[in-house]
Amino acid sequence: MSTRKPDLEERPWRQYICLACGLIYDEAEGDPDSGLPPGTRFEDIPDDWECPLCGVTKSDFELLEKQEITAAAPVGITTFSKVPGIVVVGAGIAGWSVVEAIRHLDAETPITLISACHGDRYHKPELSVALSRGQQPGDLVRESAAEAANRLGVRLLANTFVVGISPERREVRTTRGTVAYTRLVLAQGAKPALPDELPPSLCWRINDLADWSGLQQQLAAGPRRVAIVGAGMVGCELAEDLARAGHTVTLLDRQSHPLCGLIPPEAGQALQESLAEQGIHYRPDSQVKAVRADGDSKTVLLANGETLAVGQVIAATGLKTDNRLARQAGLAFNGGIEVDQELRSSDPWIHALGDCISLNGEPCRFIEPIQHQARTIAAAVLGVEAPAYEHRRPVVRLKTRSLPLVLHGLPKPDGRWAITQREGNSMVMEQRVGDTIVATLSLGQPMQSKAA
Amino acid sequence: MNNVAVSNPPLSPWADDAMVQAEVARVASEQLAPNAYRIDHEGYYPTDIMADLGQAGAFATHLDQHGSRFGLALSSMQEISRHCGSTGFMTWCHDVCGLYMEQSGNPALLERLQGHAAGQTFGGTALSNPMKALTGIEKMALKAKKVPGGYRVSGTLPWVSHIGPGQYCGAIAAVDRDDGSRSHEVMFLLDIDDRVPLRPCPEFSGMEGTSTWSVPLDDYFVSEDQIIADPARPFIQKIRGAFILLQVGIAAGVIQGSIDSIRAVENQLGHVNQYLHNRPDELQAEFDEVAKRAARLAETPYDGSKDYLLDVLELRAHGSELSLKASQSALLHQGARGYLMNSAPQRRIREAHFVAIVTPAIKHLRWEMDKLMREEVPA
Repeated sequence: MSTRKPDLEERPWRQYICLACGLIYDEAEGDPDSGLPPGTRFEDIPDDWECPLCGVTKSDFELLEKQEITAAAPVGITTFSKVPGIVVVGAGIAGWSVVEAIRHLDAETPITLISACHGDRYHKPELSVALSRGQQPGDLVRESAAEAANRLGVRLLANTFVVGISPERREVRTTRGTVAYTRLVLAQGAKPALPDELPPSLCWRINDLADWSGLQQQLAAGPRRVAIVGAGMVGCELAEDLARAGHTVTLLDRQSHPLCGLIPPEAGQALQESLAEQGIHYRPDSQVKAVRADGDSKTVLLANGETLAVGQVIAATGLKTDNRLARQAGLAFNGGIEVDQELRSSDPWIHALGDCISLNGEPCRFIEPIQHQARTIAAAVLGVEAPAYEHRRPVVRLKTRSLPLVLHGLPKPDGRWAITQREGNSMVMEQRVGDTIVATLSLGQPMQSKAA
Repeated sequence: MNNVAVSNPPLSPWADDAMVQAEVARVASEQLAPNAYRIDHEGYYPTDIMADLGQAGAFATHLDQHGSRFGLALSSMQEISRHCGSTGFMTWCHDVCGLYMEQSGNPALLERLQGHAAGQTFGGTALSNPMKALTGIEKMALKAKKVPGGYRVSGTLPWVSHIGPGQYCGAIAAVDRDDGSRSHEVMFLLDIDDRVPLRPCPEFSGMEGTSTWSVPLDDYFVSEDQIIADPARPFIQKIRGAFILLQVGIAAGVIQGSIDSIRAVENQLGHVNQYLHNRPDELQAEFDEVAKRAARLAETPYDGSKDYLLDVLELRAHGSELSLKASQSALLHQGARGYLMNSAPQRRIREAHFVAIVTPAIKHLRWEMDKLMREEVPA
């Protein structure tokens, strides 16, 4: 990425963070895709500029005050500590956010971070827009796990799976031995929920950087035909990203229109048309019966007897939280690990956040609440006074550039949708149950609203 | 007493759990405890004592025809291992051999099961190599060729325990196609008759009385009466959880025996032992947790789910780690008397290390769990 050095008399380059999706605008790098050359000051960005990741405007960005968080002394692997300290399971956005939030308040508490993968830090929402930007896996890594662990004074157990928890003795058992904790924070995330007809050996799921890297490598050779199963948010975003990257995309869903259940048919129709303009073929009412390997390519068999020959198949069929650890530890579980307002599980020494939790019986798998959750947990585990975590349903933003979509609230199956504004390709709709507005949706609108 | 086919659990001589437990405990404490050093160190192979254990019901209760009481089988194995880890290990060998015979559904093997379950005949298991081979850790040692009426098998199994002339063990051989590619595997009961020369193994640091031999096979004919499963993989898939779960009984006995040894010196040495870590109450609490999980998993030994297998592997690994910790702590608690060559804590150090290295060893278990936890992705 090209950057520019500030002139001598100028102040240093600043960075601004998108409150909605966490994207960082770096003045040194600019946003060349949107016509902002390296060295474009934030105040010089036009007001109608949009976040390249989620589409909100300038007003939803704020100055990123770099917290120079460092540990008192690096807590290396060999350091012996009488206090087991805090153990964080999972090195995704949630896991690292908790580590940073704890270090912000306390430089010395021993922290162990256990990660099933290498633990490098990257911004997960970028996975659904990175192919069309021609990015390589290394481009997405913002800080290597080793650098982050060193900076934050964290003992890192990478490529290590937690396989058991003993709440009574406060120990986690891993594939590299047993680790004791004074407090445990579960940030294990969720796993792709793959129906039986989509075999894991033939269908990609894009849920982490390693998954994405595998697909990226396969698609690097040149344009391919790709089938994406599931037209939810991830499916729609990936479809657009792949199409922009030059691939021929068929988007399959059992429903009549994309994002069914979240948006009404009129909006679905508009979204489908905008996808079609980019060459994405949306196939409604398509139930996949099986996927088979066929030499170098794959055959998708549909319930109606039709077949599709493609180079790659991507399953975007939703996520679920693995309940084995919670069950084994006796933690209350309801679609996710149940937590209270302090993000505490049914065991007082175990907290959880991010994709693996359920709040009032519902998982909430968005980026925006994670920072708040991390701060609440950090305060709770360090015994510092902090406001309870108040869960608000985040605004849903579909990162499709052709037809940006913003949804406030949670649509109900029995709600009535009505169009309140329409202008060209743009429309605003609202859903009411009785006289109450439960959700509003805007399509193709410049997104002026404040991020939740 | 066991010549009559037992099909109905209540008619079994071992129908009463409490009676089996009491009888097994009696034989173990009266006969195994005084002979443990001879067995471990001098190579005394205690088939006489095992016959009495068989009569007490130690080798039968996990079988379907005796009510599939895995919890009771585990508790028998624990009680035996508490006094002698070698015999505990052979109990496991014998138990899984019985499980192969019964689950095979082969009438010829079912006929032989009665005597086996009662401890009138003895047989072990030679699945260490194939279990590792089937998960990709090493190569299959035995090769089989299909011939009319059965297979011909060649190759050498390095260390097979609880076998001897006139005995038998479960074994697996790879069947290759003419072009050298793997067709499948066949599992069979290997009868140790005069076609099978048993070669002595080098001396081990312990567990010498387990009658462990190297078994070279040269064109050994396997008849249909000996077939356990053909192909073997689905069968192994089915019994794998039960196979590994039963091993936890050995670990449990070594742990319990170690805690016994610590408590035995508490009156005399408690005033200095209080400075040691891994005190008996801590060990007992951790052991109770392991035992609780084992009891739960023993209720569904043939649950084929990935989660169940992970739970079993994790429990087995935990059992190994706790055996190491408990046996070392027992020696430290007993001090010089525990360091005597013929002392129980000294022997249990070797037994615990055996539990930790016998297939699946701690490293294999972790490797396997890592593999199971990873999401499969397109190649």
